[in-house]
This record gives sequence, C-alpha cells and structure tokens, in this order.
Amino acid sequence: MGLRFAVDTGGTFTDLMVSDDDGSLSMHKASTTPKDPVAGVINSLTLAAAASGQSLNAYLSRGELLVHGTTHAINAIVTGSTARTAFLTTGGHPDTLVIREGGRMEPFNFTVAYPEPYVPRELTFEIPERIAVDGSIKTALDEAETIRVLENLKARGVEAIGVCFLWSVINPVHEQRVGELIERILPGIPYTLSHRINPSLREYRRAISTVIDASLKPIMGAYMRGLEDRLRVAGFLGRVLVITSQGGVMDAKDAAEAPVNLINSGPSMAPVAAQAYVAEGRADTLIVGDTGGTTFDVSLVRKGRIPRTRETWLGQPFRSHMTGMPSVDVKSIGAGGGSIAYVDKGGLLHVGPISAGAMPGPVCYGRGGTRPTVTDAALALGFIDPEFFLGGKMTLDREGAIAAIRKDVAEPLGISVEKAAEAIMALATEHMVQAIMDITVHQGIDPSDAIFVAGGGAAGLNCVAIGRRLNCRSVVVTEAAAALAASGALISDLSAHYQAMFHTRSDAFDTHGVNYVLDGLAARCDLFSRTAGIGATASRIEWSCEARYIEQAWEIDIPLRGSRFANALDVKTLEDDFHRLHQDKFAVADPGAPIETVTWNAEIRCRIGSERPGRLKPDTRSASLPSRKVRFLGQDFIDAPVYRFEAITEGMSIVGPAMVESDFTSVVIDQGAKAHRDMMGNLVIDLGDRK
Amino acid sequence: MNTQTEIMDGSALALLTARMEGIARKMANTLHRTGRSGILTIARDFSCVILTAKHELLATAESLPIHVLRGPDIMARTMAENHKVLRRGDAFLHNSPYHGCTHPADHSILIPVIDDEGVHRFTVLAKAHQADCGNALPTTYMGAAKDVYAEGALIFPAVKVQENYDHVMDIIRMCQMRIRVPDQWWGDYLATVGAARVGERELLALGAEIGWDRLENYTQQWFDYSERRMMDVIRAMPKGRVTRKSTHDPFPATPAEGVTITATVDVKPDEAMIEVDMTDNPDSMENGLNLSEACALSAPMLAIFNSIDHTVPKNEGSFRRIRVHLRDGCIAGRPRHPTSCSAATTNIADRVANPVQAALAELAEGLGQAETGALLPPSCGVVSGVHHGKPFVNEVYLGCTGGAGSPTQDGWLTILHAGNAGMCYQDSIEVDELRHPIFVHQRRLMPNTEGPGRFRGALGAYSEFAPVDCDMTVAYISDGNINPAQGTRGGMAGGCSAQYRKRPDGTLEPLPACAEVLIKADERMVSISAGGGGYGPPHERDAARVLHDIREGWISLARAEEIYGVVVNAELELDYVATQQKRDVLQKAVK
Repeated sequence: MGLRFAVDTGGTFTDLMVSDDDGSLSMHKASTTPKDPVAGVINSLTLAAAASGQSLNAYLSRGELLVHGTTHAINAIVTGSTARTAFLTTGGHPDTLVIREGGRMEPFNFTVAYPEPYVPRELTFEIPERIAVDGSIKTALDEAETIRVLENLKARGVEAIGVCFLWSVINPVHEQRVGELIERILPGIPYTLSHRINPSLREYRRAISTVIDASLKPIMGAYMRGLEDRLRVAGFLGRVLVITSQGGVMDAKDAAEAPVNLINSGPSMAPVAAQAYVAEGRADTLIVGDTGGTTFDVSLVRKGRIPRTRETWLGQPFRSHMTGMPSVDVKSIGAGGGSIAYVDKGGLLHVGPISAGAMPGPVCYGRGGTRPTVTDAALALGFIDPEFFLGGKMTLDREGAIAAIRKDVAEPLGISVEKAAEAIMALATEHMVQAIMDITVHQGIDPSDAIFVAGGGAAGLNCVAIGRRLNCRSVVVTEAAAALAASGALISDLSAHYQAMFHTRSDAFDTHGVNYVLDGLAARCDLFSRTAGIGATASRIEWSCEARYIEQAWEIDIPLRGSRFANALDVKTLEDDFHRLHQDKFAVADPGAPIETVTWNAEIRCRIGSERPGRLKPDTRSASLPSRKVRFLGQDFIDAPVYRFEAITEGMSIVGPAMVESDFTSVVIDQGAKAHRDMMGNLVIDLGDRK
Repeated sequence: MNTQTEIMDGSALALLTARMEGIARKMANTLHRTGRSGILTIARDFSCVILTAKHELLATAESLPIHVLRGPDIMARTMAENHKVLRRGDAFLHNSPYHGCTHPADHSILIPVIDDEGVHRFTVLAKAHQADCGNALPTTYMGAAKDVYAEGALIFPAVKVQENYDHVMDIIRMCQMRIRVPDQWWGDYLATVGAARVGERELLALGAEIGWDRLENYTQQWFDYSERRMMDVIRAMPKGRVTRKSTHDPFPATPAEGVTITATVDVKPDEAMIEVDMTDNPDSMENGLNLSEACALSAPMLAIFNSIDHTVPKNEGSFRRIRVHLRDGCIAGRPRHPTSCSAATTNIADRVANPVQAALAELAEGLGQAETGALLPPSCGVVSGVHHGKPFVNEVYLGCTGGAGSPTQDGWLTILHAGNAGMCYQDSIEVDELRHPIFVHQRRLMPNTEGPGRFRGALGAYSEFAPVDCDMTVAYISDGNINPAQGTRGGMAGGCSAQYRKRPDGTLEPLPACAEVLIKADERMVSISAGGGGYGPPHERDAARVLHDIREGWISLARAEEIYGVVVNAELELDYVATQQKRDVLQKAVK
C-alpha cells in the first residue's frame, strides 16, 4: 500500500494527515493561502516530504490517493464569486426562490434583512410549461419561447443555468428537453436540471439545490482541474478525491459535475472519524462535538449510521438559503474558544455568540483583543499552560486575560476572577449542552446511553463537564482530536447517493411499483461500484425510505432491512419500524395507523481505505510533565499533575483531578473522573458516578 | 442554605434560563414534527410555553407573538380555579376565548407539573391552531358569525381531557362527533398532548436535579432581571403620548365605514412604564371580529416589543412595565359571552397592533414600525370540499406577505400578519397539490405594491388556484381591500388586498371581502394579499436600494421617479444629477 494523504483546507491552517506504508499516521500543518488554496495543499505536502527526507516528487510518487476537504465552494458563495446564473422556472411561478418556505427566527428582532434570492429576479425566467401532480402534461413546453429566453441569456452574459420545473421529479421530459436546447443554443454553458441533482419533493428545495449547483460549476470545475493538474506536475499519480457534505468522498472530476455536494463538507468528516475510532458495539450513540475558535459543531453516529438532514442552511436558519441536499446532520452554534463573555445592563452574563474570531482572538493571544473569551477563562483557571500552548510555539498573556475577566465579568457580577472564569466556562458548556440536546434529546435520543467524542483544539477544556451534564457513559478524546476531520477523511468511503420519489401507502402497498423503484436504484449503485468503485475492497448499500403518517407533512428517514419487498410481512416490518422510530423521536406513535412513503434512497459506500484508522507514531518521551496550579470545577486551586497525551501508555490509569496535554489540546480531567488510553490511542474518560 | 433568600448571580440565572428555554424548544420541536394537519406541520401555527404555579409566563420558545404574550396566564388560572385539586397525569383542553384562549380554533393542552409531594410547581401549555374546530361552516375564521352559537364550535374552558395519563374518552368522542376530518384532529391532539407531556417530563427532571424551591426562587429573580431590562429601555425612550387610528374594512355587522380602532400610547420614562389605552373603541359587534381578552392584551404588547430592543426577555417581569387598559364588552377589549371571537387573532388584532407600533414610531426616529399588511385573503383561506367521495378541509398558505418597514430594514417579505411575525411557513406548491385536489396556476409577487419609505414595506402577493375534478369552497376574511397598511414617519401605504373569481372565459368577478365562496371545477380563485407600509420618507431611501428594486422588477421606473425621486438612464444606471434635483423637489414638497 502506498502513501495516503488527507488535506483539509481550513480558515487558518491547511492540515495534512499522512498514512504511511505501514499504516502509521503523521500530521503536518501549513498556512492556508486563501487566494490560491491549492498552493497551501502543495506546501503541506512539501513539509511532509521534507520530514521524510525525500524530494517532493519522489515522495508524492509513492502516493496512492489524496482526499481533499475544501471550503472553496462555500467561500465562493459567501464572497459572491459564483457564476452569473440564470434560473428557469415554470410559468406562473417566478418567485420560488424569493418566497422560499417562509419561517423566521427571533420573532421580535426586526434588525435583520430578508435575504435576497440566490438568483436575482432579473435573471429569473418563466418558461411556459406545466406538469401535473400525476405526471401528465398540463401545458406543453413552449419551445419557441424557451429558445427566445436562451438567446436572451446569451446576450446577457449568463455563465450558468439552473432549471427547475414543478413536478419534474414525476415527469422530467420538459427539463430534459430544455437541457437539450441549452446544449444546442448555448454550447459549453454549464447547466443543472433539478430532477437530476436533487430528485425530491418540494419545489423550493429542489430549485435552490439546482441553482447553487449551476452557479458553482464554473469555479469548482476550474478548481478541481487545477488541483489535479498541479498535483500531477508535483509528482502525484494517484487518485484525487474530495469530501462531500454527505460524509463520503467522490472523485474530484465527478465533484466538479455536481459541486452542490461540497458546500457543507467542512463538518461532515467528524462523525466519520468518531465512528472509526470508537469501536462499534461500545455504544448505540456517539455524540460528536467539534470545538473550533468560533463554532461548536455537533453531529451523531446512531446505531452505526450517521443521520442526514435536508435542512442545511448556507447561513443562519430562515435568514439565508437552504441547500436542499441531504447532508450530515450537523448543528452549529456560536460557541468556541473565541466566544466573548460580557455582562449586560441588567446584570446577566452572556457568553457568545459574538466571537473574537482568529483576529484579534482572545486577550491572551496579545493580538489586540480586549474582551475576555472562553480561552481566556480557561487560561485563568490553569486549564491551559501559558508556556506550552501549541506545543510551546506561542506564549500566552495570562495577566491580560485575568484583567479583562475582572473588568468585564467579575466586577459587574460582584464575584472573584476565579468564580467569574468558572462561570464563563459553565455557561459556554451549557450552550454546547443545549446544542447537543437539540439533536439528541429533542429527537428522542437519550445521551445517557451515549459516548461523547470530543474533537477540535478547544475540545478538552470542557468535554468532561459536558459529558457529566449530559450524564453520558464516557468521553473519548481521539489521538488526533485537533484534526478530527482529516483523520476521518483518510478512512472515509467512496460514496454516492441515489433517490427516487415513489408514493404509496402501507394499507394499499404497491409492492411491484416499489420494487421497480428499488431495482432502479440498485442498478445505479451497481453501475457506480463497477465504475468509480472499481478496486474497492468492499461495498455495501444503505437503503432507506422517507415516510410519514397519512396527512403528516414531514417525513422521517426509515432504514430498510432489505433491498426488496417480498411479501406482506416485509411491509408490516416497515410499518413497525416506522412506529418505533416515531415513538423514539417524538414520544408519540399511532400504532395501527397506515403510513405513506415519499422518497426512496440508496447510498452506496465503497471501501477504498483501510478498514481501521491508523495510529500516530509512538512517543517515547516521559508521560509526566511538571505539575501546575489548576482550579477544577467547584474547587480551589490545587497543584495538579499533568500528563503528556501522546506518551501515556495503554494500561496507565489517570485519576482526576489531573490535566492531559498534547501539542494541540489540553484535556481537563475533573475530580472523580478517570482516564486511560485504549488500543486505538484514544483517551477514554470514565466520568465516575452517574445519576 | 436558605433557598428562599439565595441571591442568584447573573451566571446562575443565565444557566437556568438556557435550560428552561431548552425545554420549551423541545416541546415545540415535538409538536411541529408530529402533527397531522397542514396548518400545524407545514405552516407551524402553534406555540409552546412554560408558566409558574402562580400563572406567570416564564418561557415561550419561538412562538407566535399573538398566541403567547398574554392569555396563557389567564388560561392557567382558569384551570386552577375550576379544578381545586390538580394531580400528576391530568391534562386540560382549553379553547375558550372567555377564559384566556385566543380563539376557539386554538385548541390548547395545559398540564400542571406536580412534584412528588403533590405540589403544583409549573404549568406547561401547548397551543395548536386546528384545521377545523367544528364550526357551523368549514372554516376556523367565522368572520360573519353573529355569536358563539352561530360559530358552532365546542367550547372547552379548561376541561379535563386526561386523568392519570389516560384520555377521557367521553371528551374525545364528543370532539370526533363535531370536528370535520376527525382522524386529522386526533393526530393533532396526540401531538399537542405529546408536546406538553415532554415539557412535563423535562420539568420534573429539572426540579429533581435543581430543587423546586430553588427553581421558584430562580423564576422570581429572572422576572426581576427582565423587569430591570425593560425599565432601562423605557427610561431611554422619549416621554410622550400619541394617538393613532387604524380602520378595518366594512364586514358583515360592522358600520358601513368599517371599524376604526383608536390606540393611545403613553410612554412614561420617569415611571419606566408604557401604557396603552384601548378603551376608546366600539362595543362588541355581532360578527366574529371581536377580540378575546388574550388578543386584546397581546396585540398592543407585541407592537411594543416589535418596537424596542429585541433582547429584552418577554415574560411576566418585563410585562410589569406595560399596562393595557381594556373595557368590558368592547370589540378590542374583554368580550362577554356569547360574543363571537372566531377571528380574534388576525383582523382587529392587527388593527390594534399596527397603530401602536406606528404611534411609537411617531415618538422618535429609530422607534416603532409602519403598519403590516392585513390578513386574511383567500390565499390563506380554508379550502374544503369532497373529492371522489372523500372530504377534505385545511388552511393553505399560498402566498401572503406584507412585512412593515422598520427603522433599519425593509419589511420582512413573509411576515403573514402582525400577530404572526412571519413564524409560519408558506406552502410548497407541490405539497399542496399532493395533499389536496387543488392546482396552483400562479404564485407571484406584485410590483408597485410595496409601501414606499426610506425602508419600504414588503410587496403583496398574487395567487391563482383551482379545484381539481371537484368544486371547492374557499373561506376567507380579507381585510385591507379598502384600508391599506399605512406608513409612518413620512412612509407611505402598501397595496390593497383583493379577491376574484376567474371565470372559465378568463374574466374576473370581484368577490366580497368576507365570504365562503364556491369555486366550480372550471373556475379559479384569485387572491391578492396586502403590501406592508413604509418607514420614513421614500425620497430618503438609499438610491442603490431603489435601483435594485427597479432591476428586480419590484417597482416601475415611473414609481421610482415620482415617489422615490430616483432617475435612471436607459441602461438602468443611476442619473445622479437628475436624482438629486428630483429629491430636492420632493423634500421641499414635504416642508
């Protein structure tokens, strides 16, 4: 086996994780180069080559595959550098992208603007045509008018086209014909048809996926070609893959054809890594928290599956646009190391969502920040060693942090600096707990059966506190926790998602119709595994069905037990699974009531990486570091023992209160908690007495 | 430690508040995802709150303002007064507008949270607008109903519907005999009870963890904090008393000129109080427009909260600094049985909220809002009929807009109406066509219907829909046909609403504003919703925004020039000189 690379381009750093021939891992960090992100990718590889004592060319020629995580697509949207895109819609319905689906947050907050449509009305064109709910053609496509519109687009300098017609998902004939006309009249102009990119119910969701996809095709096509070309020139001859929002990877050239799949790829790998590092069978549920500087992302692994959602927003819910595509269900809140703490006029403490970000950052970074943050509180409590931050690469200003906490929090609340710092940590913890509740408890998942997997640079500061508040079984901090996404990317599956709409009821189940749809999906999966998936060591298909009670409006995703329905018993099983899941999620069910199906899904996953994730190279230094003063939750400062994460051996037991530190993170082991390392290199923390 | 006197600091308050809000949010999530009817699960027309044992509003998740500010307190008090002994496992059904509910279509479930010693600690309430509530006609908004008897809905003034966690099946069977599409009602009922039970379960766990006395102590200190925040806000406002009027269109049983609502807002910074006098208004009328006490109190309050720092918590504490004066037997006051309050949440309630927020705007730049477009056009009407032998009934949300211009933003497009604040969703055409035998020919925004202003109101929406293979009744109560949403501080009025029958030959037949109309299989319903009012003089609007509105087709060139004073050339680029001249003229005309 050759070298495998995972390169994750973040806002500040480009993280590279290399899996060596023997499966051992090494981590490298280069600065991100926002104007030309591929340069940062190459730089990180150059660092790794140097560390191995080889030339870049020689080193890369040993490479087998490279998985790339990029925020280039979402950045293009945020900075408005996507293509000039036109939207073709069914006549009579020009405002689908303007009206969206309604809804609003913060009912009394009128300081936030209503979002502009993703494609301006100026570039929205009504096409005379209409398909009905049963797929019949109510109004035939007016080709002459369509051609006039397309000629007009040419004149207006349009660079991409999205086409979404009502009910194209039942009968795609009009969209297909418009696609042909585009190729004839505007050859070379990228376009996207809604029934191909997102064949699902609800015209807004389908339309928004379509126009986002079209708008990204030129820029992402260029990016992917540039990436592959430059890697080839540098000597890499292996396969280039990119991370998707669904928590899988796809070939770079395929991603360029469907770039809407990339926009939420940032947080999608954390649960993949968690699933790989925490052995199956240890818990039904893994709660995965990824703490960065400004946001805290929570995702789940539930009975071996990573839950998906179609409600992923480009920005804040209701104040931006949805992607409409199935993505890993990630809840993000504005809480992280950079979250600012302050006391309002009425005397109430707030932590976040405003953040000091990377610049100026916390007060203790000494880069001009003046308002105290969670990181400053952690420093004041002794959770972070001011001399050993990022392995000693940066010295922190503890006095500055303390002064800011005193002025902004301790004095207004009339409490000591230590108490104030503790209060900041406690409130940040509570906000994170509430975010976790939103995707667990509120959906019927009991965190007390779960393991909390903490990732991200600031994860260790309060992962024990979060785990205790949720009454979790235990907390796991992975060996490469600070680069959870990159470690997930190394072992993620090549995947593709196929879906089809088919409506039937369980009390009048159209077995033949459903099997026909499932067979169609199976054929597409099969084609995928014989083409893109060729050479995979294993492949499997995850089947699911989006269903609801008759008259309900929202579907839930039911895993299917097989790929076909043989008899009435299979239908009964589907019904039973639905009732059980509904009861689980919402605390009510209506057993005996029939259900109706809307969408059928097949996700094929081809294993191209190794079955098990690798380990960092062993660290032979002493596990003990000098002790220091730390103030653990609800205690006074004590002289706490400090251990080096990488050097702790299997079998060693660490009893809280204690600190465990790596070059990238500090883990607070509160009193009553016990920690050890397992065979995967994880730090496993037993939280002590449970409620 | 004596828990009664423990002073909680700002961090303890923040922590417990996060947990209380989390519980209310969990209730709302349950209700949204488990309901059956479109109005609940698609439109999200429901609310979830937590009250103290003393019936003080504590936490509301993100609910519809008109549903929750006042009313839940009165409902909980009714529950406690009518049932001297409250037991764990009890649940109460409440929809009586004479006892604190908004209107009879808002079925509410109240559950007392009882600790292990049998002490009533909190009340949780889940309120959900029903697709049908058993009215004489298939609509939940009986605008023309003479009284509660003509409405016909069963009225439940906090009636026990669960005991020891079991349904009182007598009540259930009564509902099933009266309410159209009983299976759908049953599904919604289960979802509502489920949401309230989730709240109960979470509060019981929280009480066990934190201690009940400490929790009670928390609630009082949280109210005190909220009151302090409100006092600070009011003290920073200019002192003043403003009276504004807003007129509801003529409806059945109203005077021929309609119903003019007068609101007097008195801001008293020295006392840190805002008072709203609603007593100078007509007596209750023999129609469904009368406000319930809950709506009469909530409408002025939501207008106040729309107009100030949105971070002030909305609960019993901040409410202490608002006094709303009502009169018994008044259309915008306390109704006497059997006055009908069938449409209490929308029409007159908006005519109360709108002048209050516009009056606050008149007090000072940067305060208040213009008027929001009126409800309830056929595009959010209740459609019903029989298709291939199967009855159907539901409220649709096919395009209703109307947000008001505010001090810093244009009107929020999908606000729906003042009391809703845009919290409801708008229907997917495909979902509607899948669920009901209807076909939606058009849904589009209408140019030149925005209320012009420095920050303009939202545009009105046009929708056109028809039944498929059957006839369809559409019930609606469309205010704003004659009286548009007014602007404030020099802002102008939004477009009016309208409704028509489109005959097979394409001609339009105007329809009355308050009606149940039968649309035949070969006809179409045409509905136009009202635009929102503008804030500030239109000629002060940022020219770039005007230009954008022109390019997007929201306003015509003529309108841009005449009203906004913005002149563009043939390439749709700004003509600076001509614009400045035109704006100078408009500015002088104002003086």
